Amino acid sequence: MRPLTEQETQTLFKKLADYTGPSLKNLIAPLDNTPNADRYVFRLSGQNRVYYVLLSLANIATSISRDKLLSLGVCIGKFTKTGKFRMHITALPVIAPHARHKIWIRPNGVMPFLYGSNVVKAHVGRYSEDCPEHQGVVVYSMEDTPLGFGVTARSTIEARRLDPTGIVCFRQADCGEYLRDEDALFSTG
Amino acid sequence: MAPSKTRTIKNKNAGPKKTDDEKPKSSKSSAGRKGPVNATQLKEKNRALLLKKPKRKTYTDTELNIPKLNMITPVGVVKPKGKKKGKVFVDDKEAMTTIMSLVQAEKEGQIESKMTKARQLEEIRQARKEEAAKKEEERKTKLENVKESLRKKRKRGPADKDDDNVKGASSAGTKAGKPSKRKSVSFA
Repeated sequence: MRPLTEQETQTLFKKLADYTGPSLKNLIAPLDNTPNADRYVFRLSGQNRVYYVLLSLANIATSISRDKLLSLGVCIGKFTKTGKFRMHITALPVIAPHARHKIWIRPNGVMPFLYGSNVVKAHVGRYSEDCPEHQGVVVYSMEDTPLGFGVTARSTIEARRLDPTGIVCFRQADCGEYLRDEDALFSTG
Repeated sequence: MAPSKTRTIKNKNAGPKKTDDEKPKSSKSSAGRKGPVNATQLKEKNRALLLKKPKRKTYTDTELNIPKLNMITPVGVVKPKGKKKGKVFVDDKEAMTTIMSLVQAEKEGQIESKMTKARQLEEIRQARKEEAAKKEEERKTKLENVKESLRKKRKRGPADKDDDNVKGASSAGTKAGKPSKRKSVSFA
């Protein structure tokens, strides 16, 4: 595992900033005010996966050889071969507390979403105001449980005029992937 | 050591120069008898020197004591020879925060511009909608007016000539009246 280069860090932060607001900087803030306080860092594994991990843990992990170390901390996503960053569902606990725009879906829309379909207007309980088109959003159930994330298909104003079957949000990741993509999600090969 | 070496070699190469220095000395000390002899010898030497290419020593820039500003590679650029470039990692807190704030500012701007654009488009759409509604309203009122005028004309009285005309026209249009001539088909 190695730290990210400047280019990689920029790509990663750009992706994270799609979903989160200004509180994103709390992700890398030190845990307390002491001079040598522990903080979270990002580490890149051999499979191009990025992990969000405590610095102290990352330092300890250097004692394990590269090919033997399979996973460490929380997997945020992976870099594609073209240099873009693709977020995994495992990043949801990291981005959900800092989400900028949110969509809450009704109980009748939860299962369709968890099975991998996009969010339609009829299933939306409420959504954040002033959300532009093609903006990253975190999808919640009406009980405020984060279910996944996606990208808005229409802006909030346009979505109001949409018919009930019209797509409001394109799904990117949902919690159902923990079961559906169990083999691929944590694969190390 | 290096400067002394260079001096000796330089002297070797610049043989004729040395002789030039000696030349006036000899001319001063003795008569012009020795002069021409020396000259011939020198010429031969020169010829030999010209024929045989001297081995030139190559110097490194450190050996030559060149002032640093006068070097081929600028002073600021240090290129370690035979070393891999490698990746520059960003792991310190300050650098990460800087990158994050830069990215966030950029994103903020993008979202803001998107929102303003969306609002403008919405305004335009609203204006168009209102305009269309207004036109529709105008058309409707116009139609109503025509209808009203027609109704008034009809109410004026059935004896009027104009009314008859209107009746005739309307009957022709709606097939309400009786046809004047009935078409018949005869079978022989």
